[in-house]
Parts: sequence; structure tokens; C-alpha cells
Amino acid sequence: MREPAMNLILEKQSLPELLQSWRESYDVFLPQKLERFSHFMPLQDDTAVLLNEPHNTRVPPKALFLPMTETLVKFTRFGGYQDADHEVQPRVVFAIRPCDAQAVQLLDTSFVQEDYTDPLWKEKREKTVTVGLGCHEPCLTGFCTTVGGGPFNKAGLDVLLTDIGDSYLVEVLTDKGNWLFPSLQNADDSAIETGHKIQQEAFDRMEVAFETEHLKEKLEQNFSSPYWDTVSQSCLGCGVCTFLCPTCFCFDIVDETQRRERVRNWDSCMFRTYSLEASGHNPRPSRVERTRQRLSHKFVYWIDQVNQIGCTGCGRCVRYCPVGLDIRAMLRQAQTLPFEVSHAA
Amino acid sequence: MSPKPRIALFQCQWCLFSQSDQEWVDTQLPENIHLTKTPCTGRINPLYILNAVQGGADGVMICGCLPEQCHFKTGNMGARRQLEEFNDFLDYTGYDKARIRFVWLDLQDRGIIQKQLASFEQELEVLGPASNLVTRVKVAEGGPDA
Amino acid sequence: MPDIDTIKTEAKRLLQEGVVEVVVAFKAGDTPMHPQPAFFSSPDEIDQLVYSGLCQNNLASFLTRLPKEKKIGMVVRGCENRSVDALIVEKQKSRENLYLIGVPCEGIIDWRKIVEMVGEAVLAVEENAHLVTVETQNGRFALERSILLHDSCSRCAHPNPMSADILIGEALPEGDPSLARTALEEFEALSSEERYAWFQKEAERCIRCYACREACPMCFCEECFVDHIEPRWTESGATPAGMQGWHIVRAFHQTGRCTSCGACERACPMDIKMTYLTEKLNHDMRKKYNFEAGLDVQTQPPFATVTLDDKNRFVVS
Repeated sequence: MREPAMNLILEKQSLPELLQSWRESYDVFLPQKLERFSHFMPLQDDTAVLLNEPHNTRVPPKALFLPMTETLVKFTRFGGYQDADHEVQPRVVFAIRPCDAQAVQLLDTSFVQEDYTDPLWKEKREKTVTVGLGCHEPCLTGFCTTVGGGPFNKAGLDVLLTDIGDSYLVEVLTDKGNWLFPSLQNADDSAIETGHKIQQEAFDRMEVAFETEHLKEKLEQNFSSPYWDTVSQSCLGCGVCTFLCPTCFCFDIVDETQRRERVRNWDSCMFRTYSLEASGHNPRPSRVERTRQRLSHKFVYWIDQVNQIGCTGCGRCVRYCPVGLDIRAMLRQAQTLPFEVSHAA
Repeated sequence: MSPKPRIALFQCQWCLFSQSDQEWVDTQLPENIHLTKTPCTGRINPLYILNAVQGGADGVMICGCLPEQCHFKTGNMGARRQLEEFNDFLDYTGYDKARIRFVWLDLQDRGIIQKQLASFEQELEVLGPASNLVTRVKVAEGGPDA
Repeated sequence: MPDIDTIKTEAKRLLQEGVVEVVVAFKAGDTPMHPQPAFFSSPDEIDQLVYSGLCQNNLASFLTRLPKEKKIGMVVRGCENRSVDALIVEKQKSRENLYLIGVPCEGIIDWRKIVEMVGEAVLAVEENAHLVTVETQNGRFALERSILLHDSCSRCAHPNPMSADILIGEALPEGDPSLARTALEEFEALSSEERYAWFQKEAERCIRCYACREACPMCFCEECFVDHIEPRWTESGATPAGMQGWHIVRAFHQTGRCTSCGACERACPMDIKMTYLTEKLNHDMRKKYNFEAGLDVQTQPPFATVTLDDKNRFVVS
């Protein structure tokens, strides 16, 4: 067996065949055209492999690990219950973009902890090999480099592909990824060099969307600032930004009594019912508080908890917000807020 | 023999003036007919019908009073406007229009509801079981226990 | 295109003279294809006001979020004007608190169609009456405006605001109502299996983000039926029953209210064709009751009234 961190070379024309060969031992998911956008779907016999889509899938691949609706338990009318079928086949997620892979890794901090582990998430994570496809033409709405990632970031990936013309430079990063390429040639130095050059160029093309220094303190200290009224004014209060966010993971557990199943569904802090209490009191009564929650969670609370920004800069919320709200502009504006440097250790 | 069509019957509690008819509906409905009694057809939310359809009803029958005989003056007419349109709309999305039937019962009627149900059942047998818009697993077909 | 300066002058006047407390219009967005709804409360801010074919929201959806007594000025197109009138019929607003700056609308440009044609790397968009010039990282493209129109705009029957307090620019010729009808009739001609297959295909993409609900001016319920916990009206998750139930009932609740603006479809992040559902209901309302929402502020929607004449339409057993 080869050592991880190997550099291999994969001819583009042999890719479909390789993908099909993985189906013997894996379920293979890759972005495919669905209406006017791309979407992660299982590879079939006749699937056309189109990787020239410059933009990312519309629904983030977090849906492969935390489905929109997932059955937890089936119950009977008279008090009995049984676990739902959670069998997961080993699978490959192919052509996941670095921002999304980083997001999945980030979500591990929530779902796989020492004192609490979500078994459903964990099983899917363990059985999944992620093959990333770097962005040699980074999108204009993305801002991965601003939040600590990059168009060829390796976080959360088992393999990283770099498009170098007629072939891909395959960087095998983990043992898990190693099994996928039994018969590829090692990349020669020039291919590696080309790959790295493309990676660096893509990185350099990304502009800094907003400064992250002291952003946390500013958002924290201006908790009741009129700033929040301004940025939430035109918000509709829909769930597009959170549902399409690769790092948003909130869910709601519901008993579907007609189907006799306990399910968990995606939920969004932008909804009124999210924070509504049984008494009728709602601690986040309007879109102002909800917008503050969404931004603060990503740029304050997540840093408090795991010392990482809870945003990987994929740009979906920017692209698909129905009223054109741009998180980058909101945070640029936040940078103008007053703050005091905290001296806490 | 294939099982009888499943019918969801929505009945306004005022429309059966004859005590014997009402008693028949209350106690002797065949098993394939599921009764929901409402205070007036005007109380029938389109969502009730959708629920019946999604849950696998092969047909929905709604019984109410004649237009001028509503206990609440106009409840039945409001219902008719809404539910007729809802019927058309479900038909548009694929649930056959003939699977929803409205029946207006005169206060003098005797034994009409039985005949209506029988003829509706016959019609549904011709149409066969509904499949469009049926999205919940039927209890009878491997859904969770009854 | 209506003259932007005239709109600005009028908006400024309204704020200066105290006719209104806030003007609801659009301002330039942070990305080139997404102007943002904006709320101007001082005359100095009016310089930021923009108006273009890319303003895709129905501003009337913000009316019910502002206090009822607040004096509001609003830049309205044909559909927005109808939505405002429909809200007045529904007693959600009173006309005396509103001042409508009417703009004849040449149709909203669907940014997704631009992306489909020239890719996502759009840097700037300019438009005139016939052409939309898109500047991207890969060059400049001149596209015909008519092919970029949003579907509901290309079949729009009433592009002119009908009850605005002032109309800026020349009124446009009325649209052809048969366009909407033809599309509908083609769909109705399909078999019920085909119609269901189409509906299924559209509904199964739904992620239940409720952007359609929030973008719709006529979805003003304090509590939506899907948010009820007891009784639970429909499945809450992204299951076939839940998704189909949501789309059927969402559309049906708009019967007699929908003004065919298409804001729901433009807000949808999953490109679900929703107006084909509401168009059916609008068409039926026209056919059965000769009613169209938002054409005046008196006529009650069909579901809010009944007449004894109705009984002749019923089959009496």
C-alpha cells in the first residue's frame, strides 16, 4: 500500500470508467444537472459525468450527512417502538468543493463530541470518502480565503483533485482515499508543479471580502446596536440562507403521528417558530433578533465554542437570497462598529 | 376479489333529517367507509380532504344540506364554492375529479345517502384504486400497525 | 424605462412635505444582479434609490410588516399595485395611508436566465428598452430583453399600475390575457398521470424554506398552517406528503388573492415552477366568477361572498 499524501495523475477521459468501477464497493454521489442547477445524486449506469459546471451545487452536500428529513424512530399506537433502518452503504462523494468539505468537517465539532455523539451523523461520516474538486475558477460570490479556507483547501477531504488541463492531479490525503486509485500512475514533477501553480493562482485571485480581525468583539459588543435593524430591514424571514448554508445544522424533532415516525427536519433560526416557546413567548420576536442570531452564531458563538469561524465562504446565501442580502456587505458594515479590545486572557 | 374502494365520508350533522338514516350512518357504515361528522359543510377545510386523499382514500364524499336549508344560513354555499374549486384544483394536479362527490340532501329525503354511497362506490370500482397524490403509506399495506 | 430622476424627485417631495413617513423602493444591491428592497425615511437617502428590470421582489409583501397606521410611499409596478389593492380588499391596509408612485413595467428580468446564458461571473448589468448588456469576467454580452423576462412577466396582462397616485412615464399597452390561458390549456390537455408526474417532479425539489410564502404579499397570515403544531395539518418534513401538501395548500390559499406577480417563483431557491398552480386558480376565478384579484378595491374575492344565484350551479340530488 502506498503512503498517503501521494500525488497521482488521472486522465480526464478515464474518469467515467473509474467512477463506474467504484460502484462495485461504494455508492457514488456526484453533482449532476437537475433543472437549471447541479445537485448531488447517485451515479447510475447512464450518468453523464459533467464536471465543467463552474459553480457549486445548489443544495450543500451536508444534506448527504444530515438529510432534510431523517427518520429516527418508528413507533406504534400502543407505546412500542423500533429503530428506523439506518443502514448506510460505504460511499464516495465525488467532486465536493473544498468549502463544503471544510463545512462537513466543521460540523463534526457539533455532531461528534467526546460526551455526545450523534450516531447517525457519525456512521455516515465514517462510511464516506470525500473526493474534492478544487476551484481553479473561483466564484465571485464565494469568499473562502477570507474565512480561513481556500479554493484548494484540504480540510475535510480524503482526496483533492486539481484540474490541470487534460488530466487531474490527484492528491491522496488519507488512507481512506488511497483505496480509490489502485492503478494510477504517480504524477511527475511538472504535473505537480502545474497543479500547485494553478492552486496558488486561484488563491491569489480571491479578494478579501471583509476583515475578520476583531469582528467577533464588534458583533458581541454591539448586541443592541441599531446596526441590526439596518441589516435586517429587507430580510423576508425565509430559510434560504440557512437551508442552503453548508454549516447550518439546526434541526427540529417532530413526531409524525400519521406515519408513526419520529423524524428530524432541517430547521432555521430565521423562522418565527424556531424560538417560539410553549408559553407563547418568543425571545427572538422579529427578524432583527433572528438575523443577529444567524450572524452571531457563525462569527461569535462558534468561535467561543470551537475557536473556528462557522462559515466557509461558499457564497450560497449571497447568490440565492431572494432580496439580495449579502453577508459580506453586512460584515463589512459591522467592521465600522465601535468596540473595545477585551483584555481577558 | 379486490378490496372495496376506501371512501372518506364527510357529513354535515344537520343534513340527515331522518333518524333512521342518521343511525345507519352512525352505526352501520361498511368498513371501507370512514365517517367524519362536521357541524356544517362550511367547516370542512380543504386540508381535511387533502389529508384523506394523501392517506389513500379512493374517493371523498361530502354530504350537506340544500343551498337554502343550511343551519347556518350560507355555510354550505361557501363550502360548495371552495370545495368545488379545490376539487378542480386537485384534478389539475392529477387526482381525478370524479373521485370527489358532493351530495345535497333534502330534509325530506329518506334512504338517499345509502343509494348515493352505493353508486359512488360502483363508480370508484370502475376507476380503480387511487394512486396519484397518495403519499402516505397505507396502514393496510405495510404501514405502521393499525 | 421610466425616468429614474422623476421617481426620485417625487419620492423626495413626499418625504420633504411629510406626505409619507417612509418610501419603500429598491436600492442598489451588493451583487450586480440583486437590487435590494429599501426603506427610505429621510430625503437625503433618496439618492440611493434605483429602479431596474432586475428588481425582482414584490414590494407589497413588506406592507403588512410595517405598522398599519404608518404613512407609506411606495414605488409600484402593475403587479405590485394590484397586490396593494388586494391587500386593501382584505383589510390589511387602508388606502389613505398609502401613496403609490406608479411605474409602467416592461417586465422583470430573470437573473437565472442571465446566468444560464453567460455564466455566473457577472460583474455588471445595464439595460435599455430592448437590450440587456451583461459584463462578465469572460466578456460582454448583449442579450435581448424579451427572452430574459421572467415567465410570469412574459404573460403579464396588466403591466400598468391602475390606481397609483401618480404615474411616471408613458402607460404601456395592456398585455394579452390569452398567453396565460394557452400555457394553462396545454397543461390541462395532458393526462392526469402526466400532470401528476409533473407536479411530483416540481414538488420533490422543495426544501421547505418558505421563501415563496415570505415573498408573497398575500401571505399575511399571522400563523401559517404549516407552523401549527396541534392540529398538525400537514407533514412537516421534506417528504412527498409534506412537500405536495405544502404546494397544494399554499397555492389554494391564494385563490382570489393571487395577482400573478410571480414573486414566489422568483424567490424559490430550487427553481420550482409554482405559478402554474396559482395560474390555474386565477384562471378558474376569471372563468367562474369573472373575478381577478386587485383590479379594484371594492369587489370581494369569490370565496368571501356567496349569493343564492350560486345554487343554480349545483346539481341537486
